[in-house]
Amino acid sequence: MIEFIKNFYNDTSKNMKIALAILLTLVVIFGIFAIQILGWGLGYTDMDNNFAWGAWIIGDLGLVALGGGAFTTGYFLYIFRVDRLKPIINSTVLIGFLCYLFTFVFLLFDLGQPIRAWFGFAYPNWGKGVYPASMLTEVFFCLSLYFCILLVELVPTILEHKVLIKNKVIKAIAHYMHLLMWTMAAGGTFLSFFHQGSLGGGMWGVLYGKAVWYSPYFFYLAVVAAMAGGTSFMVMVPYIAGKLMKKEYVPMETFQTLTRISGTIFIGYFIFRLFDLYKAITYYAPMSGREFFDMWGGYYGVWMLVLELILCVVAIVLLNPGKFRNQEKFMVIGASSGIIAIVTSKLSVLLHGFSAPNFPWKGFTSYMPTIAEWGITFGAFATMILIYMIFVKWFPLFPHLEKDEHN
Amino acid sequence: MTVKDVAMKRRWGMAIDLDKCTGCGQCAIACSQENNMPIFEDDSDVPKRVAFLELMKVTNDRDAKFPDVRAAFIPKMCQMCEGNDPKNPDPPCVSVCPVVATDVGDDGVVSQIWSRCIGCRYCQAACPYEARVFNWWKPKYEGNFKNSLNSDVSVASRGTIVKCTFCSHRWKQARDESVANGNLDINAPVYKTACQEACPVGAIVFGDLDDPKSEVAKLVASDKALRLTNSIDDLPEDKRKAFLKIKQFPNPKVYYLTSQKWLRDMMRFEKNS
Repeated sequence: MIEFIKNFYNDTSKNMKIALAILLTLVVIFGIFAIQILGWGLGYTDMDNNFAWGAWIIGDLGLVALGGGAFTTGYFLYIFRVDRLKPIINSTVLIGFLCYLFTFVFLLFDLGQPIRAWFGFAYPNWGKGVYPASMLTEVFFCLSLYFCILLVELVPTILEHKVLIKNKVIKAIAHYMHLLMWTMAAGGTFLSFFHQGSLGGGMWGVLYGKAVWYSPYFFYLAVVAAMAGGTSFMVMVPYIAGKLMKKEYVPMETFQTLTRISGTIFIGYFIFRLFDLYKAITYYAPMSGREFFDMWGGYYGVWMLVLELILCVVAIVLLNPGKFRNQEKFMVIGASSGIIAIVTSKLSVLLHGFSAPNFPWKGFTSYMPTIAEWGITFGAFATMILIYMIFVKWFPLFPHLEKDEHN
Repeated sequence: MTVKDVAMKRRWGMAIDLDKCTGCGQCAIACSQENNMPIFEDDSDVPKRVAFLELMKVTNDRDAKFPDVRAAFIPKMCQMCEGNDPKNPDPPCVSVCPVVATDVGDDGVVSQIWSRCIGCRYCQAACPYEARVFNWWKPKYEGNFKNSLNSDVSVASRGTIVKCTFCSHRWKQARDESVANGNLDINAPVYKTACQEACPVGAIVFGDLDDPKSEVAKLVASDKALRLTNSIDDLPEDKRKAFLKIKQFPNPKVYYLTSQKWLRDMMRFEKNS
């Protein structure tokens, strides 16, 4: 083992050593603050009775929305048979898996009583019909099921490890799992579709007492957002990984196909978002006795809304016409602004929702995560990156490359 | 008479006369003592403080000078929202709970089981009145306060949401007492909340909103009564009914009484924008 670590250390380039040192430090910080938060409670965060949720929920929303790209990509590959997406699918499944795993981690930290987390399954709040009354009940069940599906989808990648695949039985299992993967993709699409809506949008949309959140369209908007932003995210992660490791893991045309899908969905998202805003301004906010723009103040003003829309337009302009998309730099800028647009929209949902005053005589409140919150947030992201790197190094994440090597 | 024959007729509500309230804070203290609120060495961290009843001071204009200055105190506890239909109450905080730790009873009281709560704070996000509080720290009772804890109210653990329940443990006591005296009618006993009992000027009136003879029912029917930020009350009847068909509104069961125009305006968003 020591020999292995020694060899690994000697084989690693200088840049990689620095990156690993930073990531490992963040993981250690994560561990320290995890003990503090789990042992002594949420008092060490900047959340309070007014700002009930903070950095970790933003992490959750972002991860689920971007991890949603896994279901969109899987859907296009396995159901629509867009075979050009094949080189990217293992990486996509892994990213989806990591996003969901760390959504669980963040949710667990956010619970005041993490030991009672199983109550969500034991005492679920089902409504009168088949659909749950509480969006969080839906999140509990859908998230767990979809996580299991991603786990199953990930298994072939692990089984195809060059040592394991020599075993005939394992090879056969991996082969047939690949053939049957479309069932998983279909199930995953169905489940992810629901909780995209619930965690990203429905969760806020049903809060009818809060004019700043209530919107009957929020649920559907979040689904479209996840499909648009998620596909861009699935492009950017392997792209950055390829740049860092100085290897072309995924052919450019695969990226082109996926960004084209993303760009098209962004048009739909943009139109839907404008409609949602129009309805909120003219109809739903006045209905609750509020002016829409009065609720957008304090530190997080209308600028967040404007930023989101501008980034959306950038994504649409750069990802749709072929002349821009076919140029690498425009494709990267377009996909990045798409991702940032979705993250900004999630940020502004949370920040505005909690900072807007509930009483006419109160002012806007603000929230600044404490060191414990930052530590856990960045530590979690660092752990995700580390796991992804481990897979890139030791598992067949990009199967077409292995084939080329064999040839 | 058997207990089965008796249907719940109570719909508990409250009327608070802001013109009488002096802001002495007796209600807040009585509430905290009754409901085992933790006491920390430094309770100046207001946003993280655990208290069911918050005494909010409002003024007409921060820059106003004597004699134009107006100030009032608004005791704010859980407003016991009932949604659009009193027969089928749907408070904003109840449907969102993933573990059914909070529920609304047939008496209209929104209750919470501390020991069932997983601390996700979804109800806190849903509450338009900031009435739900979270135990950010482990509850502590300095000195010999532990000896004076109320055995009828459970002490919450760290990381759970707690809220005002209109002192429903007192109602249970009243019912037990009534049954012990041979009266099985669930609608017979009445009770007083801790804040109502403590108010030296009688500004807080608690009772059954559905009983036309009760004092609270008479008070909420008066012109002085209005509900906090519930702007749908100001609309003409036809428009109000149309709105109620489109979406749920909180429609709380706590009413505030005042004849001061500035204070009435203060409780509405559209008059302060």
